[in-house]
Amino acid sequence: MQDTTDFEAKRDIAEIAVERYKQGRLTRRGFIAAMGALGILPALGTKATAQAKEIIVVNWGGTAKDVLQEVICDTYTAETGIPVIVDGSGPSAGKIRAMVESGAVVWDLCDSGAGSAIILEQQGITQPIDYSIVDKSKVLEGTAYNNGVGNYVYSYVLATNPKLLGGAVPQSWEDVWNVKDFPGMRTFRKSVRGQLESATMARGVPLNEVYEVLGTEDGIKAAIAKFRELRENIIVWGSGSDSQNLFLQEEVAIGNIWSTRAHLLKDQMETGSFNVSFNGGVIAPGIWVVPKGNPAGTEETMKLIAHGQKPELQVKWLEMIGSGPINPEAAALVPAELAPWNPSSPENLATQILYNDEWYAKNQIAAEELYVDALIN
Amino acid sequence: MPRINEKVSYWMLVVPALAIMVIFYIVPVLGIWKIAFTEPETGLTNFVAMAGSNAVKTSFVITFRVAAITTIGCLFLGYIVAYAISNYASRLTPLMVALVILPFWVSVLIRSFSWIVLLGRSGIVNDALKGAGLIDAPLRLMHNELGVLIAMIHVMLPFAILPMLTNMRGISGAYVLAARSLGASEWTAFRQVYLPQTMPGVMSGALLVFVLSLGFFVTPALLGGGRVLMISEYITYQIQEFLNWGLGSALSVGLLVATALVLLIAARFVNLRSALLERK
Repeated sequence: MQDTTDFEAKRDIAEIAVERYKQGRLTRRGFIAAMGALGILPALGTKATAQAKEIIVVNWGGTAKDVLQEVICDTYTAETGIPVIVDGSGPSAGKIRAMVESGAVVWDLCDSGAGSAIILEQQGITQPIDYSIVDKSKVLEGTAYNNGVGNYVYSYVLATNPKLLGGAVPQSWEDVWNVKDFPGMRTFRKSVRGQLESATMARGVPLNEVYEVLGTEDGIKAAIAKFRELRENIIVWGSGSDSQNLFLQEEVAIGNIWSTRAHLLKDQMETGSFNVSFNGGVIAPGIWVVPKGNPAGTEETMKLIAHGQKPELQVKWLEMIGSGPINPEAAALVPAELAPWNPSSPENLATQILYNDEWYAKNQIAAEELYVDALIN
Repeated sequence: MPRINEKVSYWMLVVPALAIMVIFYIVPVLGIWKIAFTEPETGLTNFVAMAGSNAVKTSFVITFRVAAITTIGCLFLGYIVAYAISNYASRLTPLMVALVILPFWVSVLIRSFSWIVLLGRSGIVNDALKGAGLIDAPLRLMHNELGVLIAMIHVMLPFAILPMLTNMRGISGAYVLAARSLGASEWTAFRQVYLPQTMPGVMSGALLVFVLSLGFFVTPALLGGGRVLMISEYITYQIQEFLNWGLGSALSVGLLVATALVLLIAARFVNLRSALLERK
């Protein structure tokens, strides 16, 4: 099976840290600590003599590293006295595997993706999640795997600039494909991730049938044809910051972008010139995995995962960095003004589908080729 | 001091540069060729995939079209500049040449970003045109082929001007004067006497710009909006997005071969030796 984890999305969350710092939302100390840690990462990796009572959590660096440390790890230390350290070096499936196979495991808990989690489980690299400690009901349905469990979510959302559109704002992907009533440029991701779903919905396919339709060759071709039809109005974004720039410079009026970037844009754009709809969004989870033979032991690590599930901590993630709570209970605690921007609020969940890693493992490469062809040929 | 054999001293001068080329260019390029034929399996899989892909074909067409239009644009604008400098700007020549070379001091990345500021939907050009009442809605000047061409011609212009300038400065004014004194009109004298003498410069400028444009990456990636996908960008896309080193390498082999073919074809019509080595 092919690894479908979207590492770019993860690195992007790291980049958002820089933005947050610029906006004064992170302290200088926190920022420098995060960046410094990024630079000395190899040193952390060689720390083979990790103390038994210390947990090493690994994510993708940047702001997310800082936020993870502050929100989940430091609070855990305060409660239990066990030091928890975040390493931002990016726990790719390959690195985790190399570590476990070499027998020198220094990581306890890794921020992975569903695609990697499934592969690592098949290869026997990761431990089963102990669902007597970690609460299955405290994660979004469909994100509790045998050897992995959801930790936060982000979505592909419909972002619009009502000012450029003269007040006529598209409410669905069908509207996005309606160039007559909603003129202006659109932006879509350079990759098919989270994009073919929109095109399929624009064909009038209901939410719960999207991946079923995309499962057939005709379904993929039809979605690609939708992009061919719209391409004169498309500018593609490669990185998360690209998508943000396109909105900031008013190059596009409509777009399919990450909710984490939308979270930044809502603060950067003038009131009334930026809007997000989760209608027809695709929600993607980050997944915790625990390598076999981790130094802190299974139980300690499971307790840390369970700690991170607390709704009040999950809400902090959203406030600080725009990643949505994986725990559905957290929605009730989200401040009213942030609720519309929360990918996992009940209202927003009802209109979205869960990113399907199995579909990507099977179809992504072939679909990418067709997608590029539709855009340029 | 004993006289060093001429041949030895020749090689001593050449070896340092040659060594750098071999170690840092030829060897890695061969590595890329190897990957193209061995990953994910040994054989021609990658080349078959490449030949069967419409996206790759289109990307090659776009690459050659953009390179060709850029070359024509650069030659046209560059010829005028080179002609003006070598024939009219006697006292100002050093200043003019400095102005041509100046852009080399600024990175291509920054020059391309500047075009984003200029050509954007709410960029300087559009705002000025709107302010002057010439247009109602902003023109689409970038995120399409037009934007790529404007910026590429700008970036490549010095590469066209410099060879033509060197060539023109070596042409004696006596020939045109002789033609004029024999009764040729100004236009005829230019077309039949001056222009043919500048052809070596034009050809070397054309080749330089065309070949550099074929492999150009930064400007199309920034100003193309993803739809002017040149081969070099497609290669990075394959390698970074899909970790598909095999196809990425096969594409770069394809680009190298295509570029070599262009040079070979050009060699049939142009004396490459005189175009590239003797600009007079």
